[in-house]
Amino acid sequence: MTQNHEHPSPVMISGFLDGELSDAEAQVLERHAATCHTCAMRLVEGMRLKAATSSAESRYEASAEVLTRLRSGIVAANKRENPGARLRRGWSPLVWSTLTVCLVLVAFAAWQQVRRPDTLSAELLDAHLATLSNGADPEVISTDKHTVKPWFQGKLPFSFNVPDALPPDTQLKGADLTFVNGRPAALLLFLIHKHEVSVFVMSRDAGELMRQSGTRAGFSFQAETTPELRLVGVSDVNPVELGELMKALARVQ
Amino acid sequence: MVFKRNRSAEFEQEAVPLLPALYRHACWLTRDKAEAEDIVQEALTKALRGFDSFQSGSNFKAWIFRILRNVFLTSRTGVAATQTIYLEEHLDGGELTDAGHSPEEELLRLDDSAALHAALDALSPPLRDVLLLCDVEGMRYREIAAVMQLPIGTVMSRISRARATLRMSLNGHFGEAA
Repeated sequence: MTQNHEHPSPVMISGFLDGELSDAEAQVLERHAATCHTCAMRLVEGMRLKAATSSAESRYEASAEVLTRLRSGIVAANKRENPGARLRRGWSPLVWSTLTVCLVLVAFAAWQQVRRPDTLSAELLDAHLATLSNGADPEVISTDKHTVKPWFQGKLPFSFNVPDALPPDTQLKGADLTFVNGRPAALLLFLIHKHEVSVFVMSRDAGELMRQSGTRAGFSFQAETTPELRLVGVSDVNPVELGELMKALARVQ
Repeated sequence: MVFKRNRSAEFEQEAVPLLPALYRHACWLTRDKAEAEDIVQEALTKALRGFDSFQSGSNFKAWIFRILRNVFLTSRTGVAATQTIYLEEHLDGGELTDAGHSPEEELLRLDDSAALHAALDALSPPLRDVLLLCDVEGMRYREIAAVMQLPIGTVMSRISRARATLRMSLNGHFGEAA
């Protein structure tokens, strides 16, 4: 819209109402509305509609209880992420002695923490256990890779392949969309003999913290890396068989 | 340790004032208050985990809303919602036509909140989400573009079409009653 006599488009009117037009554009629109009754009424109606929509804020107001729970959740999550001791000033020598002992224990616990599997493996194990326990079907139930792979198109910022031939007594069950390390990932569900296997397919940088293999709480982890992807398998099946499946998946990427 | 404590405090300082807005938007996304609370809780946990990668001074609100939407989109409700693919040109249902009425004839009665809520509910999610982020959450277009991962032009177009669709719905509601 460059001339006073041109009616502004609906997009321009919306932009004006939202304060998104440049000063020059806003001035042109205002000058036009000053002389065009129809557009002036459109602006008035638009302002009223915007104000009414804004009032929809009250439809889903969080109660004090909800806010308290959410805030407590932040505090709890903070404590989980930062388990170190909190220091204060002006303590007595007895307190400092006690604190020294605590620090030694914390340092020992931290050393133990380094030896334990990384937090990403904990997240993946939780996700695997959730698929075992909730009994709900995955979003895609199919043994056919030609059904599973296309389902993910548009849902993930990467693509991946499923092999035609799987290791002996291994079957694709289905797939789901999940979230790992804050990033979208594919969850492929397999059966090896009767053991459930979860394979997480993610972009390579999302899975960088994951070690190549390990165990946690009786479950095996096997990770494979391709130029673009990180694949991590979790299962209670024999680690050798899990490794064969992971290698078969990595070979076709 | 001190650095991590300061970052935790910084995260709380940024996140707590946004809790009502996050919960509200989650309710619009899920239409279920219990699920909305779960999604907000999960988003906060993921945001805290990723907070080290967040640059102080950049737009925390857009960043955490983006995380909230990601959590929703990968939830069962969100995945089911995304099964329907909306073509950009048909987001308004393809029913917007100029009936040739003057603005006075089309002056909306906006005092009926139930009718307004019903009209908002009837909007397609791609239109409704951008409109709510703009009018309810007060976000700028570039913030909405960052949250929704859309070009700014698409944000502008969707907001305009959302308002036009609302107008048609509310006109239709009161036109039948008159």
